[in-house]
Amino acid sequence: MSNRKATIITVIVTLFFGVFFLYPVIDILKVAFTGDEGFTWDYVLTVFANPNYLQGLWNAFLLGVTSTVVTFLIALPLALAAYRWVFPGKKWLTILILAPLVLPPFIGAVGVKHILGVEGALNAFLIDLGMMNSAAPTDWLGKSKFWGVVMMNALHLYPILFMNVLAALNKLDPAMEQAAQNLGASPWKRFRKITLPLCMPGIFAGGAVVFIWSFTELGVPLVFDYTRVAPVQIYDGIKDLTGNPTPYALVSVMLVISLVVFAMSKLLLGKNNLGTSPRPQARYAQKTLTGFQGWLLSSIFVMVFVIAAVPHFGVIFLSVAGDWYGTIFPESMTLSHYGEGLGHPVVVGSIKNSLVYSLGATFLNVIMGVAIAWVIVRSKIWGRNLIDALMMLPLAVPGLVLAFGYRALSDGSFGWLVGASGDPVFLLILAYAMRRLPFVVRAAVAGLQQSDPVLEEAAMTMGASPKRTFTRIGLPLIGSSVAAGAILAFAFAMLEVSDSLILAQQTEHFPITKAIYALLGMLGNGHEVAAALGVWAMAFLGVAIAGAYILIGRKGGGMFRF
Amino acid sequence: MKKFARKEVYVVLALFFVAVIPLMLQRGEPVSAGDADTRLIIMTPHNETIRREFGEAFSEYWEKKTGEIVYIDWRTPGGTSEMRMVLDGDFNRSDERGEDGIGVDVVFGGGDYLFKVMASKGRLEKLDVFDAHKEWFGGKNGISQKFTGEDCFDIDHRWVGVCLSRFGICYNLDGLKRLGLPVPESWDDLGDPKYYGHVALADPTKSGSVAKAFEMLIQQKIHTELKTAVREPGENREQMVDRAKSLGWRKGLQLIQKIAANARYFTDSASKIPHDVAQGDAVAGMCVDFYGRAYNEKLKKADGSSRLNWVTPMGGTSTSVDPVAVLKGAENEKLGQAFVEFLLSEKGQLIWNNRPGTSNGPRHQALRRLPVRPDLYTPGRLKYFTDAEIMPYEGKPDFVYDPAITGDLFDAMRQAIKVMCIDTHDELTGAWEKLIEHSDKDGKMPPLALANFNEVRLFSYKKTFELKKLLSKKNSRKDGLRVLEKLNRLAATFRRSYADSEKLADQNK
Repeated sequence: MSNRKATIITVIVTLFFGVFFLYPVIDILKVAFTGDEGFTWDYVLTVFANPNYLQGLWNAFLLGVTSTVVTFLIALPLALAAYRWVFPGKKWLTILILAPLVLPPFIGAVGVKHILGVEGALNAFLIDLGMMNSAAPTDWLGKSKFWGVVMMNALHLYPILFMNVLAALNKLDPAMEQAAQNLGASPWKRFRKITLPLCMPGIFAGGAVVFIWSFTELGVPLVFDYTRVAPVQIYDGIKDLTGNPTPYALVSVMLVISLVVFAMSKLLLGKNNLGTSPRPQARYAQKTLTGFQGWLLSSIFVMVFVIAAVPHFGVIFLSVAGDWYGTIFPESMTLSHYGEGLGHPVVVGSIKNSLVYSLGATFLNVIMGVAIAWVIVRSKIWGRNLIDALMMLPLAVPGLVLAFGYRALSDGSFGWLVGASGDPVFLLILAYAMRRLPFVVRAAVAGLQQSDPVLEEAAMTMGASPKRTFTRIGLPLIGSSVAAGAILAFAFAMLEVSDSLILAQQTEHFPITKAIYALLGMLGNGHEVAAALGVWAMAFLGVAIAGAYILIGRKGGGMFRF
Repeated sequence: MKKFARKEVYVVLALFFVAVIPLMLQRGEPVSAGDADTRLIIMTPHNETIRREFGEAFSEYWEKKTGEIVYIDWRTPGGTSEMRMVLDGDFNRSDERGEDGIGVDVVFGGGDYLFKVMASKGRLEKLDVFDAHKEWFGGKNGISQKFTGEDCFDIDHRWVGVCLSRFGICYNLDGLKRLGLPVPESWDDLGDPKYYGHVALADPTKSGSVAKAFEMLIQQKIHTELKTAVREPGENREQMVDRAKSLGWRKGLQLIQKIAANARYFTDSASKIPHDVAQGDAVAGMCVDFYGRAYNEKLKKADGSSRLNWVTPMGGTSTSVDPVAVLKGAENEKLGQAFVEFLLSEKGQLIWNNRPGTSNGPRHQALRRLPVRPDLYTPGRLKYFTDAEIMPYEGKPDFVYDPAITGDLFDAMRQAIKVMCIDTHDELTGAWEKLIEHSDKDGKMPPLALANFNEVRLFSYKKTFELKKLLSKKNSRKDGLRVLEKLNRLAATFRRSYADSEKLADQNK
């Protein structure tokens, strides 16, 4: 890529990113750096002088690291198994284990509590089995906060790593492994010396997202009432009635930590020491596991699905529950919540809105993500590594901060984004897109790192125009990675919370998450009615993702093979 | 290729099938934005049930009155704290630009504290209803300015309460049975160590009305001390009163400390507490009356019993109002004023407590809140009430809030609770757990460790006044920083003290 083109793309994208991400964030965070006489470090220093905040940061960091390790332990074996073997039901099992991607917020937490609560389904089950004393049931949510959060994080986030690693594995040239095998390398050695290093970009791509996500995760610690962790402290502090600016200083500290961890791990892990590989000449010949081995592997996939889908089961049962308390299944079942929830006047509009916002955001993400990835991987432009790190920041900024930043933006010089009617469609598309950009950038960067530029150079030498080279060679080569990123971006945009709550003010502009939130607040059966809408959202998103998976599986460079 | 196309068709069909269900079940809005002649923009933390009832009722009322179709554009940024953030941000920006309003006409609900703050910042219009319906206010049957010591409307007529609410305790009968506890009757009961890990509390730094509940708990202790105080030798009356106040204050804080040590969390979500108690995750919690009543009703079995009950803590809670106000610079001020008038009219008032389907009642669901107008509590109307047995204006209230005792310390008290109980919650519960663990068979805790745990001298009545002075001096950012540093130091002291108590308890001292 010529430096001039890289510079143009970089300038456009950086400008866009600067205006729609950095500017609103800085606008909100500047309160933490403003003293009586202008700039000050005092508030940042109070963060470091406060043992509560220090412990909160440390706990968040530990949660981030531990969750990433556990996520890795779940996702890597699954991805390797899906890559190497064919086993009974593989096609559906590899889709089913993506279930966490469709869990709606708020109501997902309520579902978990119905399962893990003191009078929840799990305790009822254990009491029935005689493994627990009914007079002293275990308080899972109250007693096992740290590991509870880690497990929930890992079970929610492993699809990100799974999809990234699988995309990376599918791009490996099996010839490399075969060569190692021919030279007598044991399977373990082959994995350690060849497979793992070669798919490191994919692992890093997923790992970085998972780490920053769990480092800054707010919802799960809130479910477990685990309050001494930085994101919860920020959330609490921002909502404090006194308007104390320290939480904003804490946000800045978290941003810096995220950047440093990202940069360091990129330095250590992000490089693929074996170089890029040309497009695989052949696909890895998957071995068909039959009999006991095959079924064993299938049952492991089923087990992961069942455990990861515990919150989903909670939501599904809640949506048909009369009363669900102290029993494994609800005492009585009814479908009336569906009539009330799905028939609510706000629902149909919110579905349309969510689709418009999320598709718009995904489209923007793909264009921006691929352009930026191209600059980061293919150009030699100065500062490209900084851009790479910057692109991860949207994951580290608390949703509430960005949402208020956008509010200020649309009230100020960017009022045209909302327009006279107050329709926030462009604002929400931008907000959603900015927050999900890291998924697509990471995926596209990983894809590009794994594909050999020689192929593009060859096309150019043969007389293809840069555009033709990109569309016929470059894009198809990274198609599967981009598709993985886009699916994640779309799913998470559909389930976005903070921007939706703050920016979609009028009922006619509510996205589906805000509709769920509104129904949740209904007196009496609000939780059940919201659960009904939650189940619908899961079904829709499930069909959409499975559909994309099935369709892309054929076209997307063998990203998902069954 | 043929096979692929078939797959595509299946995927589209499946998506279509899922998408079409809500369309089939859809119920239209009574008034949609497009059909309306005019629009009223209302910001509110009220839940969907309340919004729906009042939205429909007001639209109908207005159409009958003027022939105009009004669409209510509800703005719901979340709970009270999100609403405060949005209002603050919007008003600051419109002030900077020299504009008049923020594009919102009415604020409906959020507790009187929010409205007092907004009124003091000059963000509220004067309400016409005070002149148009003088008969609704004052006198024998009208809304009095103060009730149980709380303001029911602004003296300068910039906001008015439309319904009543009070804080109390909701509890789960199964949970109590499991822990071997009697039904709680007062705030004191929640300090019982048997509740350890089972109490759900609301965060006083996030909501003015929650902070008020804590303040009342302290005031109750002060009232008791004042009632029983006798003059000591050489002490004049004033000194005796001061001593009683200080002692009551200390006992109040110590009780809050014990309840907080029993607490699972401090939440800012009003509905989380009754829900967790209903589900058995917490055994008792601090909760506003209508949530308690709604959950009680929801969980009622055929025999009329319910596992969740709600009580007014004996002598420890006042009744406050949930207000409405018209915002400065409202584009549709006239309609906003009409909305306020409607809320105080008989129809608007009875929606709060009439049974669904009765005349003047809500259309879909009972709201279980109490109207503010005393003249509506008549036998003829009460027979349609869902909660006719609660007569808030009947008899002498068992608690009267006295702002002169603790009102000045409101903000300082919140900070004290934050420092003693919320910021140091892990250490507080850690020490409490050890104290419980080392209690003897009669439940007596190691005395030295307990005394150390209960030490709240840093927030004595006198010292809290000093903190108040420091807090009110927050003119510059430097002052603000000084306050922060001071609070951090105090928190560090409490953290150390709790750690010491833990050690002492371990040594059985």
